[in-house]
Amino acid sequence: MISYLARRVAIVLVSLFGASVVVFAVLGILPGSPAQVILGTQATPQAVRQLSAQLGTNKPLWVQYLHWAHGLLLGQLGRSYVSQQPIGPQIARALTVTGPLVLFALVIGALVALPLGLGAALYNGKVSGTFLGALSQVGIAVPTFVGGILLIIVFAVALPVFPSSGFPGWSQPGQALRSLVLPAITLGLVEGAILSRYVRASVLDQLHSDYLRTARSKGLSRAQALWHHGMRNAMVPLVTVLGLELAALIVGAIIVENVFSLPGVGQLLLNAVDNRDLLVVQDIVILVAAVVLVINLLVDLSYHLLDPRVRDEGQR
Amino acid sequence: MLTGALAVAMVAMTAVTAPAAVAGASAPSGGTLVVASSVFPPTLDPTANAAAAIDEVFEYNVYQNLVQLDPKGQVVPVLATSYNVSPNGLRYTFNIRRGAHFSNGDLLTPADVVFSLKRAANRKNNYPYGVLLRGMSSVVASGGKVVVTLKQPNNQFLYDLAAYSNGIVLDPATVKTLATKPVGTGPYVFASEVTNYSVTLDRNPHYWGKAPGVSEVEFRYFSNPNSEIEALKTGQVQVIDNLSNPEDAKQFHGAGFKLINGPTNGKIQVTINNSAGPLAKTKVRQAIQYATDKQAILQVAGGGYGRVIASDDVPGDPWYMPNLNKSYAYNPAKAKKLLAEAGYSHGLSLTLTLPPYNYALTAGPLVQANLDAVGIKVKIKDIQWPLWLTQVFSKHDYQLTIVDHVEARDISEYGDCTYYWMYAGCKTVGAMLSKAQGARTLAGEVRGYQAIVKRINEDAVNDWLYNPDQLTAAKSNVVGLPGSGLTESFDLSHVSIGGSLGPSFVAQGYSP
Repeated sequence: MISYLARRVAIVLVSLFGASVVVFAVLGILPGSPAQVILGTQATPQAVRQLSAQLGTNKPLWVQYLHWAHGLLLGQLGRSYVSQQPIGPQIARALTVTGPLVLFALVIGALVALPLGLGAALYNGKVSGTFLGALSQVGIAVPTFVGGILLIIVFAVALPVFPSSGFPGWSQPGQALRSLVLPAITLGLVEGAILSRYVRASVLDQLHSDYLRTARSKGLSRAQALWHHGMRNAMVPLVTVLGLELAALIVGAIIVENVFSLPGVGQLLLNAVDNRDLLVVQDIVILVAAVVLVINLLVDLSYHLLDPRVRDEGQR
Repeated sequence: MLTGALAVAMVAMTAVTAPAAVAGASAPSGGTLVVASSVFPPTLDPTANAAAAIDEVFEYNVYQNLVQLDPKGQVVPVLATSYNVSPNGLRYTFNIRRGAHFSNGDLLTPADVVFSLKRAANRKNNYPYGVLLRGMSSVVASGGKVVVTLKQPNNQFLYDLAAYSNGIVLDPATVKTLATKPVGTGPYVFASEVTNYSVTLDRNPHYWGKAPGVSEVEFRYFSNPNSEIEALKTGQVQVIDNLSNPEDAKQFHGAGFKLINGPTNGKIQVTINNSAGPLAKTKVRQAIQYATDKQAILQVAGGGYGRVIASDDVPGDPWYMPNLNKSYAYNPAKAKKLLAEAGYSHGLSLTLTLPPYNYALTAGPLVQANLDAVGIKVKIKDIQWPLWLTQVFSKHDYQLTIVDHVEARDISEYGDCTYYWMYAGCKTVGAMLSKAQGARTLAGEVRGYQAIVKRINEDAVNDWLYNPDQLTAAKSNVVGLPGSGLTESFDLSHVSIGGSLGPSFVAQGYSP
């Protein structure tokens, strides 16, 4: 187990190093310099050169990379070129919006996906099953931003139940939660629809398996057999997908935060790209990469709990 | 670079004085005003970054200048109680307001003014508009006055001091923390910010003038124009500073809302790279002018709010010539004739590079269709703003582009031979500029600038399309909002919720 863990962690570290190089290289060749954007259309070439030197963006790329990587290893995210503020607290503050939003959406996604997927599988071949399947297709087909605007029109303008946009901060927890409801539903419904397809497929697989037929021959109903014997097996592929989908949720948050004007990580990233605030972009991307890698690591480890065959393999 | 106001020099010797203790909106009732805007200020320090979003919030509201612009675009004394100009136009004497304090309680002194102007003029500090003050040969404090001496007479000097962040007066003790704790003498003091979400200003307890009618102003940022509109409709905000899509304006006529529209200094134009190929020929550029249906483009891209222009010449300019803007009226037949004369009877192909702004993305295809109708095949290329700045603006790697030149009185760019349209007549215009700037009478100055306006119109340096209006939408009970987009600041000095506005402020262009 320990050697397995060490191997997995080593893979995460190597992947992070690779990601940092790729992120840096891609942003390095992105045209448009931070100094030029800061100085705008009033800039003389001389002023741009002077500011680039002050920011350090005129140094060779590898020097800039080492400087950045060195800071990361020490846990320092650096200072924004544009706002002149330390980046760590900015990201931390944005995470207090995006973190709860993504978790909230994940819960909603699961609440939608399990009944929808299970229903579609159990009633497979019947009209109701086909209907549930079609419902999930619609959920997948509606783009997030359209869904968000529809929800705003219905639940903020026509029936003013939730605010149409904005986020008052966690000093007012009730208001803050209310502001996250529509964004989380927007994000969660799409994820739920996608997840329900996996739930359906995974459950159908189990329903057609030999051991479940045996269980049913002992007199259990389809649902009982599934609940007592099949669910655990059906969960294994689902957990993998869930890990990947969490990454998709973080990306989806960029669009949803834009529609609902939430000051989260997505907005921070978008504005940083627009301002060529490259250090902020690099820091966010590498942090998201780290989160995704860690989630996948946890997913891998969770197989151990769900599937004894993986556990045995890991011990060898 | 642009700018300038006449107000001054011809006035030589005349002293201008601020009205004493002015009466603002009646009913300083308090309450919070929430203003929706679209671009979050990338930093809080207006002296370190050219973004207009910073000036919108902080100029005039938090920071003040010796002289400022009112919403009509006129220079008015603020931190100077009065000023006068020597007969030779070289020496400006400002009487500094006594008893005014910064929001941290420090007393404003003439030495602070000298410090601020010198800081702005110093190249090392990279002020976005610092170049406007480099014509100063000395700035000294004497008694309660500050005396500025120029190297050459410049009729635009007071306007330059009033219009931009180069003129703000800082407390020298606070310049190291401008990016986190802005301190100024204005009616509001910075309270807090949430990155990419909001900036909150409170009433300045140390303000020397009459307190504004609201106790707090929150600028809230919406990157999505639809969300901004819904927020106004549902009462989450009371004002949208400037609608992103002019089409949205119609829904705010009446029914509890009001629409305030007034001119900006903007010139939305097809900028032409004059340096190479067919576009180096005057006749080709003139053909492009005749081929574009500017009125139709104004209707579609600007919602009809604004006016067609035919040179770098807008209503905020003292030398504005409305009649000149009737030249190059839409005439495709004439355009074809000019193209044939220039040797392009079989047409030509050009690339139009568009920045990611609504007006450009809307006007682009219309210009493309107009030019196609006279035989100019146009290929559209969409690029991001940072890339536009590098590729188009710095490296001049483009043929046509569409952009809004928002700066006031920026006609002096036509005398800059390195400016991105690469105008061949720049040297001539440069000489004409010196003459206009040094004119000793107002009439002489206006004549001088009008000659430049006509010159660049005849040379068809660019294809100027229209001067857009600022479109402010608000709840109908919000009083005292600026009535135009002629200042960089969204000036909320006299705003209140309910109440009424004194006639002197209405006369200055604040909206009743």
